[in-house]
Amino acid sequence: MTVSSLIEALGLTVHHEGNGDCPVSRGVVGDLLSFVMGGAPEGAVWVTLQTHVNIAAVAVLKDIPLIILASGRTPDAELLERCRQENIGLAAASASPFDVCGALHDLGLKG
Amino acid sequence: MDSRYEVEFTVRGDDFLAAGEASNQIKETLVMLGVPSAISRRASVITYEAEMNLVIHAGGGILRAVITPERLTIVATDLGPGIPDLDLAMKEGFSTASDRVREMGFGAGMGLPNIKRNADVLKIDTEVGKGTTLTATVFFGRQAEQGG
Repeated sequence: MTVSSLIEALGLTVHHEGNGDCPVSRGVVGDLLSFVMGGAPEGAVWVTLQTHVNIAAVAVLKDIPLIILASGRTPDAELLERCRQENIGLAAASASPFDVCGALHDLGLKG
Repeated sequence: MDSRYEVEFTVRGDDFLAAGEASNQIKETLVMLGVPSAISRRASVITYEAEMNLVIHAGGGILRAVITPERLTIVATDLGPGIPDLDLAMKEGFSTASDRVREMGFGAGMGLPNIKRNADVLKIDTEVGKGTTLTATVFFGRQAEQGG
């Protein structure tokens, strides 16, 4: 599964696709930045409710190719700009974090 | 690589827009020097948490990385308030961060424990009212399993 195919499968609203060809097989969910920093698997997709620019810094350092903002959250302008600069995928789902993670699990992603 | 390579960054206090920039630059330096990814992943956790401590708690400071063929040493120095109870500060879940910072997802009390988990050696010199110097060392010879 790639970032692009995952976005399509979940019907996400794309703010910035990033590296669409990047393969993804792992995921992480959380709103505590140190939790994600300390525990996210390498290259994981990140599901969160945080929408501010600092999540981009975590994504860069953890090689996270795609951030999914759940529950209809929209990104702050600074976050979108930083994701474009760093080419990090940024997409949004109307579904809750629980349901987004369930869909990702159904697609074969592991924690 | 050369026998010694050093980079240093000034981190501004309470500047959440630039937070993480120094850590990112250090990561890019490690990649450029060919440091194994398992090491640079651990280094990223250490530098990020140390940098955020400078931003959130210390009113800014200096983040420095020294790379030799044997080890990576990360030093975070500040002239902030110091840590009154270091044992308490090392406990997972303990934090003195403000509500505003917590709402952003910081201040979970995981920063120093994350650093400890990913460093082979961690030394913290702190004095209330004077500041803190954190020194974390990662040896290249040790196979890394921490850091995600």
